[in-house]
Amino acid sequence: MAQRRLGTFDQVKEGDTAPEQQHELTRTDLVIYAGASGDFNPMHHDEIKATAAGFPSVFGHGMFSAGYLAKALTDYVGAGNLRHYKVRFVKQTWPGDALTARCTVVRKRIENGARLVDLECSLVDAKGEVKVSGEATAELSA
Amino acid sequence: MAVDKSIVGAPTGKSKIVVERGPVGAFARAVKDDSEIYQDPEAARAAGFERIPVPPTYGFAMSYWGGFPEIQPADDPGKKRNILMEVMGGLMSQGGVILHGEQEFIYHRSIMVGDVLVGEGKVVDFYDRESKGKVMTFLITENVYRDEKTGEPVLTTRMNLIHRR
Repeated sequence: MAQRRLGTFDQVKEGDTAPEQQHELTRTDLVIYAGASGDFNPMHHDEIKATAAGFPSVFGHGMFSAGYLAKALTDYVGAGNLRHYKVRFVKQTWPGDALTARCTVVRKRIENGARLVDLECSLVDAKGEVKVSGEATAELSA
Repeated sequence: MAVDKSIVGAPTGKSKIVVERGPVGAFARAVKDDSEIYQDPEAARAAGFERIPVPPTYGFAMSYWGGFPEIQPADDPGKKRNILMEVMGGLMSQGGVILHGEQEFIYHRSIMVGDVLVGEGKVVDFYDRESKGKVMTFLITENVYRDEKTGEPVLTTRMNLIHRR
């Protein structure tokens, strides 16, 4: 039960990269994500409270970034093939940030008969500052 | 101040969660995933899924949508003591901020619309680390979600919260 995307295990090479995906973060994105996830921390949607708390503006949900990075991953490896996904929240994201999702194959291995591909991924802004760094493992067909 | 290691292994609660089509489709759009497999049962079947699957990070939001109060387990050991509230409340009383440091998902099989899942959580680690004179406290919790019908595990999530003061 999974989408075929990346080709077979033999076709994938260490160092292969996914096509980069880009998105410019807007306040509307944050409101939509708040509603879809139930995370109503006002720092993500209430500009008045966020600035009162000393922030320059509202800022993005870490899990929005994780979700967008996961979309880049599943677009590359196919939905249903991820076995593991782990993210580290490094820096906050801000409305207006031009976010780029990058994924690279770092290792191929066979474990208990499963053909696994380890990937490193990150979400960076236009200056190259890493917002979220992650690692993932996908299982591919023979 | 040393942390109370006795909470490692303590249950953080059980939950029962229904996975429904509307929230799954809305969540996919919210993370900018326009794939039809999250919206259309036919597209999902064409991609090899029995039913509409959920996006990879939906596991973090699913209890908000599908944790209906009347289906929650009555014999919940996590309810007797809300460890998360106790620990984080105690840390916050010393000032500082709580940050979501890391989030991890281990996928045992695809979660799909129509699934009913039973989750069980516990504390897996709790420790202090000092860096440049500042103390950071880490709380790592884990939830294992199983298919209610078969008992098979479908998803394990791990959350790393950091209190920094």
